[in-house]
Amino acid sequence: MVALAGLDLRVPAGQTFGLLGPNGAGKTTLVKLLLAIAFPTSGRAKVLDRPPGNVRAKARIGYLPENHRYPPHLTGEQVLHHFGRLSGLAREERSRRVTTLLRRVRMEEWSGVRVHKYSKGMMQRLGMAQAILNEPELLILDEPTDGVDPIGRREIRDLLLEQRERGATIFLNSHLLSEVERLCDRVAILKDGVLRREGRVEDLTRPKSAFQIEVRSASPGVLEAVAARVPGLTVAENPGPGGLPGGAGPGATSFRGTWLELSGDVPALNGAIDALRRQGVEIASIQPRRDSLEDVFVRVLEEGEPQ
Amino acid sequence: MKVAAILLDTGRELLYRKTIIVYFGVVTLVLLFFVLALQTDVANGVIASLTVAGLEGSASQGGFRLGDGAEGPGMGGLTAEMFVRYVQLGMAFFLYPLAILMSVFATASLVPRMLEKGTIDLMLSKPITRPALFLSRYAGGALTAALNLLYLTLGLAVILAWKTGVWNGGFVLSGLVMSFFFACLLAFTVLAGVLLRSTTVSIMITAVLFVASLLVRLPHSNRDWPLLITSRASRFLAQAVVETLYYALPRSYELVQSTVALIRHEGSVEWGAIFGSAASGALALALAVVYFSRKDY
Repeated sequence: MVALAGLDLRVPAGQTFGLLGPNGAGKTTLVKLLLAIAFPTSGRAKVLDRPPGNVRAKARIGYLPENHRYPPHLTGEQVLHHFGRLSGLAREERSRRVTTLLRRVRMEEWSGVRVHKYSKGMMQRLGMAQAILNEPELLILDEPTDGVDPIGRREIRDLLLEQRERGATIFLNSHLLSEVERLCDRVAILKDGVLRREGRVEDLTRPKSAFQIEVRSASPGVLEAVAARVPGLTVAENPGPGGLPGGAGPGATSFRGTWLELSGDVPALNGAIDALRRQGVEIASIQPRRDSLEDVFVRVLEEGEPQ
Repeated sequence: MKVAAILLDTGRELLYRKTIIVYFGVVTLVLLFFVLALQTDVANGVIASLTVAGLEGSASQGGFRLGDGAEGPGMGGLTAEMFVRYVQLGMAFFLYPLAILMSVFATASLVPRMLEKGTIDLMLSKPITRPALFLSRYAGGALTAALNLLYLTLGLAVILAWKTGVWNGGFVLSGLVMSFFFACLLAFTVLAGVLLRSTTVSIMITAVLFVASLLVRLPHSNRDWPLLITSRASRFLAQAVVETLYYALPRSYELVQSTVALIRHEGSVEWGAIFGSAASGALALALAVVYFSRKDY
């Protein structure tokens, strides 16, 4: 069985990179190869300009594995000290960072409690603290918000934004596409061990040739008539899978006007505008039709689109 | 610092698992018993009188006995030196197997637990090489067991020296030999652990190897037994199995004999057994490290 095949991927320093894919796509395998937790049968990789497994490179990496386990006999504070020692942090520096991070992830009250008593969310928060303890240049996170409540997810997101501002490269492996879309500069979509799509989030979600037109002061009959004459123009019955611009999501009812959708290029858009204006329809806004990352993800998986 | 971190964590883990604590408690009780219950009166290197927990000691054939049934008053000229050796041999007979057993139970989980999903990923992501990680884990287990044995031997040697004025360094050395023996055995335990990832199976394999290492000495030292096998091929095969096991496993029998010799001051350790056991342990450990270093987790 081939877990990954023909993968060619480069993550520039300082970027937040999202790795997406269904279960069994090869995401965790890729992470394990980068950390030399597993070895490739062929091919090569470089992490921080060094081969995977290089001890010096590892000292500059922070990692939070999926379903991580900490030694049950240790308290939260001892866990951080233990992994701080393994990362080569000197005693004073380690103590300072442990104290700061326990406070930062709101775990200072639980710092003296053995980790086997922690909830899933607390384990994730401690895991995040562990991953950033050595102030890594590269932060690899495998499902960091798994089992975390919405408030905890927001805190982890804020923590990641801090790391990004600090200049860290973040390699994020997550099923929560909305979070990946918010956080990541670039994403890659894997399916069956093959890279199906890779690029900037902005580019992947950008429409090829589709627009959303918000109109006012128009009767449904007029709009239907215009839509019948202009190829590719339809009256939107609902906001569609990607939701409407301006933050309204699928099923939203608070939009101000009526929406038309146009599948076509810029000349087609101008033709539609002319047709609408000739009928006295007031155009409130025009926006390129933007897919959500979820749209792209689902389409790539279902259609098996080549890159 | 990284190796120290793993050693420290391994020690903490073993204490958390309670097995070592139980052994520590048993040894402490034994030591306390000798501190509180043993009263001796030594004159010119000879035990003049002896009381253990209120029971008066008396000379007996080949040694001494306590309480009723004494063959006569006094200790029959039993020297303090002989008395100390008797006591230490007795303690070694009872407590060394207990120490080895407890240590095997306590340390058999060290490798399987480290290899659990979610634990091993994290450990391997840290800036420490796989061999260093594995060997530190092994050393942590061996060191903890050695400290426990040292606690027993050094503690009892000091107490008996205080009570009788006789210091038997051979007893402390015998503890070191036992620690060495356990370290050799642990190499096979961790090899089983890394291959099979099961604590229970590791314990079973260690027990089987230990028994085999004791039993195999008999046919190894008796050169005539293969003549009982009529088939030439079977004879060759049986000899090959016996000799392979003898040289591949720690020399348990000879090492036990060495501890007795050290306690009784009769001869020295069998260096051939020491080097042979070290080689077999090192080979098992090397195989475990190589496997661990190449395995996908």
